[in-house]
Amino acid sequence: MASPWWKVALSEEVTSTKPLAVDVADQPVVLWRDAQGIARALEDRCPHRRAPLSRGCVRDNGWIQCGYHGWSYDGETGRLKDIPNMKDEQKFPPVYKAAAFAVSENGGFVSVNLDQKTLLAPPAVRHDMPLGGTAHVALGHDQWISALFDDPGLVLDIRSVQFTPYLMSDLREENGLLVMERFCQWGKLHWPSYATAEFPITLITRTDPETGETEAVLRDDSFRTLLTAQVAPVPAARGVTQVRWRACIGDELKGSHAVGLRHKGSFAVRETVDAAALRVLIPSASHLANKLREDIRSAAPAVPSSVSAAA
Amino acid sequence: MLEVADRSASSDTDHFDSAAPAAPKRASGPSMNAVNNWVPHDLVMRDSWFPLAHDHAVGKTPVRRAVYSHPFYIWREDGKVVASEFHPLEIVTRDKSPYTDARGRYPVIEHYGLIWGWFGRPEAADPAHLPSLPFLPPKGGLPKHMTATIRFDCSAPISLENLIDLTHADFLHADVVGDEKSDSEEVEVYYDSETITMVRTLVNKSVAPIMKFFSGIRQPTQNVRQVIRIYLRSHCAIAYGRFSPGDDVPLFHPCTPESRDRTRMEMVMNTSNAGTMFRHVMPKAGYKVSRQDSSMTNPQSPRYMDLSPRKDLHSRFDQAGQRYRLLMMDLAARQDAGDFAYRDNVSADCSDIIGLRKELFQF
Ligand code: FES
Ligand SMILES: [Fe+2]
Repeated sequence: MASPWWKVALSEEVTSTKPLAVDVADQPVVLWRDAQGIARALEDRCPHRRAPLSRGCVRDNGWIQCGYHGWSYDGETGRLKDIPNMKDEQKFPPVYKAAAFAVSENGGFVSVNLDQKTLLAPPAVRHDMPLGGTAHVALGHDQWISALFDDPGLVLDIRSVQFTPYLMSDLREENGLLVMERFCQWGKLHWPSYATAEFPITLITRTDPETGETEAVLRDDSFRTLLTAQVAPVPAARGVTQVRWRACIGDELKGSHAVGLRHKGSFAVRETVDAAALRVLIPSASHLANKLREDIRSAAPAVPSSVSAAA
Repeated sequence: MLEVADRSASSDTDHFDSAAPAAPKRASGPSMNAVNNWVPHDLVMRDSWFPLAHDHAVGKTPVRRAVYSHPFYIWREDGKVVASEFHPLEIVTRDKSPYTDARGRYPVIEHYGLIWGWFGRPEAADPAHLPSLPFLPPKGGLPKHMTATIRFDCSAPISLENLIDLTHADFLHADVVGDEKSDSEEVEVYYDSETITMVRTLVNKSVAPIMKFFSGIRQPTQNVRQVIRIYLRSHCAIAYGRFSPGDDVPLFHPCTPESRDRTRMEMVMNTSNAGTMFRHVMPKAGYKVSRQDSSMTNPQSPRYMDLSPRKDLHSRFDQAGQRYRLLMMDLAARQDAGDFAYRDNVSADCSDIIGLRKELFQF
């Protein structure tokens, strides 16, 4: 399985003033912007004495400088460029480098691929979305995705929207993505969903089977797009899932609930999951999803990932 | 048997400084490449005095300390210090360790204003193995404000490696000790089987902010001579800075391994010779500086818990730290083989080695 691209940060989180620490599962990664404004990613471990580079700073010329003894590295290659007080002995052999990762920036997200020589094209997001946020969830990556498939309300919070257990269309594969459409209701005051004849809105989700990255579109019964969100769950340290998201509200909103989406905070990824509800959540769409994810994974050609081999 | 490390310890690892002159290989012990086989958490030093408490901290009620997770309860009986592995009120249900006498008591000694516990074979306890600290009054009595207890969030050898590598100070502690700018920097390393001493000489270094404010130094630069001397077994260090213009600041910096991944320091800083302001402020700087150190050594520590095939990279400024690793591994290997003898005398006065201005420290 080729090493995937992970959306590890929002563009605005990556700056040239302060390095940002993120992780992809057990791999710590440091992100920053160099002098040209290009986002860079190195292993968050200084090869000198293993201190996290993210506790250092970004120099004016765009190199990252470790905060422990001040060694500086170039972001593109990871090569050591400078040791303080070494004056004229600043030529270092090629092994003097930190592991560098591939970086791509698009649609307001910064993505990394732990395989620096990856042949996979970086992910494209259709358009820039003004809203964005990051949530840390104490739930494993696979479990988070399963919850999204079985009850999005446990992991997402869209103002006034109630997710029902009823699907307009079952989960299926479409252009390599797992796609489904779920009926939703407005507000809290209404007949229970099982006794409701017509639903005013639906949520369409298109999910990457490998990363769980999902485009979610809220649509009303006249085919107006009310809200579009790009949600990127990334496995982080200690089984935490870090979810970055961006969203934009549709231009044509009809009805008070739909207009209410314009309020601040109308979309969010939940920081906490109701564990009591999650435990008894009965598998439904995730059953098929897990099968499809498994099939797609095993069909893909094996490409060794270079993370663990990084010197 | 004091050897001079006249080459970088790393010259036969993956290091670029291959022009350094080759010294004769040491007859035994780990090879130079062993520098990377460093798992500090697994090192246990026995037959050694460890500083456990300031004398003023111990009275009739037992205080709790630990060395390598072995409990040390310390209190005074008729004014005399005792250390036991059992609390006097404990209903004993566990076996006595081999490190105490029939009553469960450790050898203990009061010296330099500190209480030292012996960890190892009780019959081998000998005051002759107490580290020499010539800037501390042997009978104690320094004011309390020159002492502190500070903990480090990492294993003890990592804390000591941090201390003996002073290049980090210019970055991590720039706000206290000044930045890295100087006209020249020289590092010399001396060692024997029980100690390592590093001398760092800086010409025209930016003045330490703390001295600017509290000692009234007006010049932009000062010459600095810093000495770090580590007593390997006891995990104790001397940090002695001579600043001209400026003050003479000798610091006792022990790193007692209470547990595998946490370290306790019973610090004593003898600032008796400095100006009033500085005398009071400088010991307090330890609280700030130690947190800065932990901010690096804490995340570092777990990354050294397992042997890694990924070698650390070294520069020529790291020779003291590398030598420290090798000496610790040498000692540990000897102890593993059942050899606990001291081949070098740690209690011999080290004033000359650290360049102490004796006239300032007469007791
Ligand atoms: S650990 Fe990064 S410079 Fe030393
Ligand atoms: Fe320090």
